[in-house]
Amino acid sequence: MSILNVEKINKTYEGFKLRDVSFKLEKGYIMGFIGENGAGKTTTLKAILNMIHIESGQVEVFGLDLKKDERKIKENIGYMFEGINFYPRKRLKLITSVVKRFYSNWDDKVYRHYMNKFKLNEGKKLHELSHGMKVKYNLTLALSHDAKFFILDEPTTGLDPAARDGLMEIFQEIIEDGERSILFSTHIVSDLEKCADYITYINNGRIIDSASMEEFTDARRLIRGSKKQLDSIKNELIAFKENSFGFTGLIEKGNISSVEGLEIATAGLEDIMIYYAKRGENK
Amino acid sequence: MRDLMYKEFRMAIHPAFYLIFLTTLLLLIPNWIFTVSLSYLLWVVVPNIFTAMAANNDTFFSVLMPVKKSDVVKAKVLTIVMLQLLNIIIAIPFAVANFMLYKGGMGMLEPNPALFGFVLIMYGLFNFIFIPGFYKTGYKMAFPIMMAIIGALIFALFIQFMPFISTQFNMLFNTRTPESLLWQIGMLIVGIVVYVLLNILTFKISAQRFEKLDL
Repeated sequence: MSILNVEKINKTYEGFKLRDVSFKLEKGYIMGFIGENGAGKTTTLKAILNMIHIESGQVEVFGLDLKKDERKIKENIGYMFEGINFYPRKRLKLITSVVKRFYSNWDDKVYRHYMNKFKLNEGKKLHELSHGMKVKYNLTLALSHDAKFFILDEPTTGLDPAARDGLMEIFQEIIEDGERSILFSTHIVSDLEKCADYITYINNGRIIDSASMEEFTDARRLIRGSKKQLDSIKNELIAFKENSFGFTGLIEKGNISSVEGLEIATAGLEDIMIYYAKRGENK
Repeated sequence: MRDLMYKEFRMAIHPAFYLIFLTTLLLLIPNWIFTVSLSYLLWVVVPNIFTAMAANNDTFFSVLMPVKKSDVVKAKVLTIVMLQLLNIIIAIPFAVANFMLYKGGMGMLEPNPALFGFVLIMYGLFNFIFIPGFYKTGYKMAFPIMMAIIGALIFALFIQFMPFISTQFNMLFNTRTPESLLWQIGMLIVGIVVYVLLNILTFKISAQRFEKLDL
């Protein structure tokens, strides 16, 4: 069953446009939503939460129409937005006492369990928590009202490698029972290599690809060759970089030409992002 | 809705702001400008609540909860209404004390039922200018709050000057005869009706504007 189905959403801002953004997320998986800063990640997440008005397209969460069943959908969503703190000077105890009232399936036992597990102190004020602890507090709130879908905007930004790794493990635990899904945006691709089942890549407001991690990385190759070879293959390349020895470029697997002497290597997520970002410069 | 109201009173309003109700003590001053005594709430507390709300990302927080967007606005309007009504209720004993302690007839509006009717209209006007103005953007408040304060002030000044300008107004709303008391109670009822209507309009326009915003 699809937890999330985003279909051809469009939204225009001054100097930026989301164009026909579509992707799906199935129950029980983690999807990494990647893209450079300003590519449209947060805008898409906001559209999924009905915080902005899309011009066309449709968003379905848990099979329900976002416009019609917003309340019901939000009962089962957990969220976290990077850089946006709600009531940072209030103590966690007070924030929890306010938040829990909104959810009919709030469970205090679950709340206590995760507060202890994550070593969160209710007496602390939100702004006294590190970024990683804030993410954990948000996850605790979501788990306590039994959220089935977690929308996390840049949860790992600003975390040290150990904290990021710890968080990835927590994500894995959250989806373990196959009932929950996580959609998280990031530009730190090494996190995704550890835990994402699916990747959706947005570049300049357009979805480049949305596929399983294997399919996503397998669909493209890095190639290296001489300057002479570059001329004959230039048009097939997604993007390339020239250096004194020749060039390195990214190419769709199906377009690998028979030009001899090309060195072919697998492309990592980071390579793919870098070359797509360069695409405009080459043309 | 109750959950949103709980949030307003537990998180959005700092308890220290309730001290503003002490300004109702100004109703004990003989022959003073009582529309002003009841305006401090509008000048001090309401702008501060909205500033704190912006600083704490309250709007964002609220719409992420499983609530209707219009309820977020309704809770905000109701919160301001509750504070205004509390201010009036707390002011009533001081108004009665003033009425019993001093002789009236010095020109300024007496603390009688009509005064509260006028103050309700002033509060209603303030809400009607400020809240929909704020929800045009959901974050810019300098211009709407200043317009609302000026609007309420112009109305208050007009009402304060009326007894000097019109003897009829003075007789009906500013004297202590049994007949004028009836007129004053009538004015209070008119004030209540206008206040309710203005707040309904305030909510409807604000909710419509809020619905259109991209957050």
